[in-house]
Amino acid sequence: MSQAATPKNAAGHWIGGYLVLALLLLMLLGALHVVSRPGQIEGVVRVQHVNASLPDRPHVAPVQVALPHILDDQPPAWWGRVDYAIPWPAQLHYADPAQTQLALLLPRVGTRFRVLLNGSEIYHVGWHAPQESNFLTAWFPYLVILPPGLLHPEPQQNALHIQVRGQLLERSGLWPVQIGPHPALFERHQTLHLWQVKGTWIMFITSVLMGLLSLYLWSAVRERLFLLLAVATLAHSVRLGLSVTLEPVLSYGWYFYLHRFSFALFIGFFFLFCDELLGLRERLVRHLCWFLIGFSALWLAWTLFSQNYDYHRLWAGITLALAGFMVAWLLFKAWRRGSLQADHVLVALVAIFIFVTGLRDFLVVKLNFPGDADLRWTTLGSLALLFTLGWVLVQRATASTREVYRLNQSLAGMVAKREAELCQAFEQLHAAQQQRAIEGERRRLMRDMHDGLGSQLVQTLNMVRSQKATQDSRSVESMIYHALEELRLMLDSLEPMEGDLPTILGTFRQRVEPALASAGIELDWQIEEVPALAGLDAQGVMHLFRCMQEIFANVVKHSRARRVTVRTRSDAQGVYLSVIDDGIGMAVGSAPGKGQRGLGNLRARASKLGARLRFFDAQPGTGVEFVFPTPRPDAGSPSKGPPLQASA
Amino acid sequence: MAHNRNMPSTTQIYLIEDDRTVLQFVQHALALRPDWRLVGHSETFAHARIMAPNSLADVYLVDLGLPDGRGEDMLRLLALTKPEAELLVFTVFGDESRLISALQSGATGYVLKGCNATELVEAIEQICDGGAPISPLLARLLLKQLRSSAPVQAADNSGTVAALSERETDVLKLVAQGYVNKEIASRLGIGTATVSTHIKNLYRKLAVHTRVQVVRAAQERGLL
Repeated sequence: MSQAATPKNAAGHWIGGYLVLALLLLMLLGALHVVSRPGQIEGVVRVQHVNASLPDRPHVAPVQVALPHILDDQPPAWWGRVDYAIPWPAQLHYADPAQTQLALLLPRVGTRFRVLLNGSEIYHVGWHAPQESNFLTAWFPYLVILPPGLLHPEPQQNALHIQVRGQLLERSGLWPVQIGPHPALFERHQTLHLWQVKGTWIMFITSVLMGLLSLYLWSAVRERLFLLLAVATLAHSVRLGLSVTLEPVLSYGWYFYLHRFSFALFIGFFFLFCDELLGLRERLVRHLCWFLIGFSALWLAWTLFSQNYDYHRLWAGITLALAGFMVAWLLFKAWRRGSLQADHVLVALVAIFIFVTGLRDFLVVKLNFPGDADLRWTTLGSLALLFTLGWVLVQRATASTREVYRLNQSLAGMVAKREAELCQAFEQLHAAQQQRAIEGERRRLMRDMHDGLGSQLVQTLNMVRSQKATQDSRSVESMIYHALEELRLMLDSLEPMEGDLPTILGTFRQRVEPALASAGIELDWQIEEVPALAGLDAQGVMHLFRCMQEIFANVVKHSRARRVTVRTRSDAQGVYLSVIDDGIGMAVGSAPGKGQRGLGNLRARASKLGARLRFFDAQPGTGVEFVFPTPRPDAGSPSKGPPLQASA
Repeated sequence: MAHNRNMPSTTQIYLIEDDRTVLQFVQHALALRPDWRLVGHSETFAHARIMAPNSLADVYLVDLGLPDGRGEDMLRLLALTKPEAELLVFTVFGDESRLISALQSGATGYVLKGCNATELVEAIEQICDGGAPISPLLARLLLKQLRSSAPVQAADNSGTVAALSERETDVLKLVAQGYVNKEIASRLGIGTATVSTHIKNLYRKLAVHTRVQVVRAAQERGLL
């Protein structure tokens, strides 16, 4: 599947969109800076230096240390329990301990700790849990209320201790603590909790949803892009889920490995996804991604084995550097190729943003650069990235739908065009067929006029010319009369009679009756209504007229009949038309010559009508019967059916 | 052109025809009946429009193919101005499709031009006796025409309903099957003259709608 190209006319709209997005990201950075600024809260004292001692080694004298005091950076003697004696701030006065509402805020402490005020334990997390259990408090800010009943009447006499049990590789220890009025610290604690804990949960849920959605899309459309994104986001979910777990069920070793390696997977697959999204297929980027994943797997195992935080720090630095390089490389390549589309720019902007947050966290949290290490900016950075990826996902998923819609529209257009062409061709064909039919009809009329009327007129003309002296006006009149009758017969055949056999016969009767009357033959008309016959179109009517002419001519000339009966009837098999005379009868085989030709014509015309022809002995006289078979439902019109044999 | 004002019992004929040989033929035929008179003749539509309505003729022979107008229009005019006169279409061929149109315009019958003098006289006699010539095809067309127009006419607010009666339908059906008047009379058990009367009534039914329209139009224009 190829991504639908963004229309050029939308470019301006998108530039505006980028600006808005960039501004939003900048505002987010500003907000992060404001929230995590090491600002002074009114009435609250920030403790930067404490006296640290080792409870397990009482002979070692306490030393003053600066916060943050990170145990991984200390000699091995400090890797166990550490006691931090917090000097009571001189500016924190009170007259009556019972009236005070003081609290202690621990933005970052761990990985297990307890707080002692004047020798009494007032707070602890995991301190009394078994040694083999796994507690990780560093991700959570803690607000500890200093009970007024335990406060010494003389503020400076208060002994406040924070005891920490560290976990190597977790940057255990103590970060600057704040002591002051409870309401002010409560507010600060809420802020930290929102950004650090709730923010991570939100990201975790979003990430899981994104991963599942990507997985579903991959299973539906089998596009590699979705699978890469699914792996990246699900790996990220694992990291986030582990981050906000206070007491993981895993042993610390597995926790550490999974937590860090899932991050490496996230970074690796995220850049594989970016490479796929941009359609660059950059070998270097792919190799770097797989290198990062493979290298992390080994390096983290080594780090775990060596328990040396410097290796971890190095790993984080290499990961960050590789990520930075890959962002720059992909953007450079895409820019050079000129294939940056709206979604690409969007992802690139957010990737730069998350890189900045990651760099800041690395510098402040890992390398102790100046800044508030209480908050990790990547939390928000990742959230922005996830939403952007979600947007891209929807765009990609709907792109195929839009493409299908566009193709459907295009197809519908093509079908309509073809249909119009087909209609036109059909109309042309129809017109050509009509033209052919008209042409055929014209030829038939010409043939009929030539054979009938023309022949009559030529005969008359010849007779008039050859018998000028002894012109018999009665003969001429008779011939012209017959010519006129011939013409009338032809015109009758063109009348719209719709296959109605009785009307056709009645029309013929009008033409033939005077001749019969003058020959002294009586006509017995026994016509019944019969079903219309499809074969009796204009041409069919003319064939029938000619047949009837031939039969009646035979009756008048040869039969010596006194009476002719014309009869119609119908049954399930067909429609029957018979002409029966009471003459001398026809001896079959004894009428050679013209008579035979006449019978042949009759058979030929009957066949064209789709009718069977039968001669029979009427005793006395002769009968001729036409049988028009009733068309079977599957046999089409009679004229298209099997050839019907005329039998004598 | 002459207008003979003879006795009322005498059949007076007016010919509207541009072919002079037809005029001669008619004159020749009328010689067979000394009591009949050709009281007028018009060769053009324009002439006939002025002269024919003022004639005292009982029978008009009208050619449909006049050089300067349509015979149907002439029939409408005569149907309006001479409602009691017989209007015969004088035609070369049956040409039933056009005959229907002529009948609707007010014609009460038709005569074929190819007939001989005796046949012409007999045709006019038949018309005057209340008969009407009809062919099977014309009967078939009439059946269709009157059946299809009956609902329309029934809805006409003029109150004129020209539906076919059962007997008329029987007559038309038999004519359409090729039976002649005598055979029809025998089959239906009625007189031959009755058959002719039925057919003539059918012609008038076909024209009645037209006649009503014509009268209305004339009234609107203040002609009546």
